[in-house]
Amino acid sequence: MIGDIDVGSVYLPTLLMLMLLTYLFYLPLQVLLTRIHFYRLVWHRALFNVALYALLLGLVDALYRHWMP
Amino acid sequence: MKKPLISLGRMFFTLVVVVLAALVIWRLVAYYMFAPWTRDGHVRADVVQIAPDVSGIIAHVEVSDNEPVQRGQVLFTIDPERFKLALRQAESTLADRQTSLDQAEREMRRNRGLGNLVATEELEESQTKVARARAAVAEAKVAIDTAKLNLKRATVVSPVNGYINDRAPRASEYAVAGRPALSVVDSDSFHVDGYFEETKLPHIHVGQRVDIRVIGEQRHLQGHVQSIAAGIEDRDRSSGANLLPNVNPTFSWVRLAQRIPVRIALDNVPDDVRLIAGRTATVSIITDTEYAAPATEKTP
Repeated sequence: MIGDIDVGSVYLPTLLMLMLLTYLFYLPLQVLLTRIHFYRLVWHRALFNVALYALLLGLVDALYRHWMP
Repeated sequence: MKKPLISLGRMFFTLVVVVLAALVIWRLVAYYMFAPWTRDGHVRADVVQIAPDVSGIIAHVEVSDNEPVQRGQVLFTIDPERFKLALRQAESTLADRQTSLDQAEREMRRNRGLGNLVATEELEESQTKVARARAAVAEAKVAIDTAKLNLKRATVVSPVNGYINDRAPRASEYAVAGRPALSVVDSDSFHVDGYFEETKLPHIHVGQRVDIRVIGEQRHLQGHVQSIAAGIEDRDRSSGANLLPNVNPTFSWVRLAQRIPVRIALDNVPDDVRLIAGRTATVSIITDTEYAAPATEKTP
């Protein structure tokens, strides 16, 4: 459900918190992909990164909505 | 020969990922931006301002701050001595006028009994006297009723079930008729007002079920859309002294959707949720379900 996330009585928009959370997942993933030379398969690295982040955000949001009704 | 093929494959793969990402972003935007929900909701209740109908010194205050009260419960009493005196005065006036009426009636009977010995004019005069005395008696009776009413109104009772708000008057303060002495929050009138952007209104219909989260409460409340406000103030226009429209000549390039109050009735409130008028709530409308009236619906 939509709403706010309570961080010590400060109510933040859910999406903001999900974006921060996604970034935490995104950073190590990016390092990992560099390590396995995944980016050789990629056309524009920056464009791919943005898309990757968006996909991750969608995933985190879906999980959040599934677990926190 | 091999290189262009590889780069074509790379391009294709990247574009597929980008398109997928765009779809995901669109879904998120649709959910977080366009879905009919708002963080700008408030618990509200009717507040009844209670003013005494008669002026006088407050004799007893029966309630204290924040105390729950029932409909008809005595809130405070105004010193009734003055009203008792007024009642006694009205009663003695009635006795006086009753005596005058009796006298007038006796005179009329006597005059009538004398037949032609009394001038017609005198007979008429005595009839008039009786009629006036009757009217005077009726007036005195009204005065008694008024005095009784004042005496009754010296006891101020709660018109609703609810809670005394903030401040109860003190004994021996002077209460002025018509000026509110305390207020009662009507506990039967609790509802939630969600202020929705006007862009979201097409998705909102009367009767839809609503999920309400009051800040600080673990449990969600259930409700349904009761009504949508029919008007809000036009901020770009005011009226001048001679009632001509005064339209603001500056108009902003960037403008925001205004917010429209949507009244949401609460269906059943768990006992452990403390409803306080003014609490903040997040209100989301469940668009894909039509409202089915629960058995325990409160009639406002």
